[in-house]
Amino acid sequence: MRGSLGMFDMKGQSDGILVRRVLEGDTAAYAGLITRYRDRLARYATRMLGNSADAEDALQDAFVRGYRYLARCTDPERFGAWLFGILVNRCRTLGSQRARRQRLIIDDQAALERASVSHSEGDEALRDAIEHAVAQLQPDQREAFLLKYVEEMSYQEMKQLTGARISALKMRVARARQELRQLLAEVDDD
Amino acid sequence: MTERDDGLKQAIELLKRPVSLDSSFDERVMKNLESVRRPRTWTRSLWTVADWMSTGRTLTVSPLQGLGLVAGLAALLFVGRMWLMPESAISPERAAAIGETALVQFVIVAPTAESVSLVGDFNDWRASETPLRRVEDNGVWSVSVPLSAGRYRYAFLVDGATWLSDPSAPPALDDEFGRPGSVLTIGEL
Repeated sequence: MRGSLGMFDMKGQSDGILVRRVLEGDTAAYAGLITRYRDRLARYATRMLGNSADAEDALQDAFVRGYRYLARCTDPERFGAWLFGILVNRCRTLGSQRARRQRLIIDDQAALERASVSHSEGDEALRDAIEHAVAQLQPDQREAFLLKYVEEMSYQEMKQLTGARISALKMRVARARQELRQLLAEVDDD
Repeated sequence: MTERDDGLKQAIELLKRPVSLDSSFDERVMKNLESVRRPRTWTRSLWTVADWMSTGRTLTVSPLQGLGLVAGLAALLFVGRMWLMPESAISPERAAAIGETALVQFVIVAPTAESVSLVGDFNDWRASETPLRRVEDNGVWSVSVPLSAGRYRYAFLVDGATWLSDPSAPPALDDEFGRPGSVLTIGEL
């Protein structure tokens, strides 16, 4: 997995060291792990769930669960990857609950209107259009697309994280790309 | 990606941009941890012991020691059967009587499977977290999991790829990905 999942921080405290400190009773050491991973995890949750409030709920829940079950992290040096797995599943659960409640993004008329603004009218309109298009993907396709292209994971890493077969993951990514291409083209045409 | 994917590339670059959280986020998470039971290393030790006990071992004992061992195992099995109750036998009263958690046994028949895992809300749907063990030659797989009162969605993952619901439990109708799943409710909600 590229990026910082499982790296040393500036103080030279590896994930493994911090995890062991927490397990030995130093709860404050967990703050170091939160600081290290919050931004990357926040990005995934926000892109997956489509709004910052739900993303923060999922992220908080993931960090609390990570703490509660820390002794079951079998490879403390890869705490980041383990925690990412928890977050992916929290996003699934929260997304499912939200889907029952209401389709927040699609029901948001203001977002719809912004999404139909041409790219040339500004970066914010483009961002809204892209976020709106991503929100319209099937959840499993959105998950696979984000893990592949935004988090830059290999299919093997995605398989370990999601439990899905590589062939299924490739299919989801391909469908997500096709769908996004179409949705973004529609925005351009407006 | 090809040239006609320029729009997609632009979208990906935008999606990669950092997301800022409220500055008080870390503090709020740490505050929440105060109400969570502190993780302890002995939990892993218990799992290790459980793994050791469930693995085939050869013990050398004298005839007298053997008799004592048989009696001890019989007692353990009796107590074990009292605790390892089938899922359908867990009642709210039973869960309440046990206190914090009930030990729930999950069983599925999968004669041709090479591996079976239990995935659900309680283990964050992690395929590697709760493997079932083959308990009989006729393809019965089983695992027991301590669960507190609550409503859980779960499924069996066969050979790391095939999702199966529990035929003995109500189906979960709210799975976001349309996968088969089941619902287990313990205690009053």
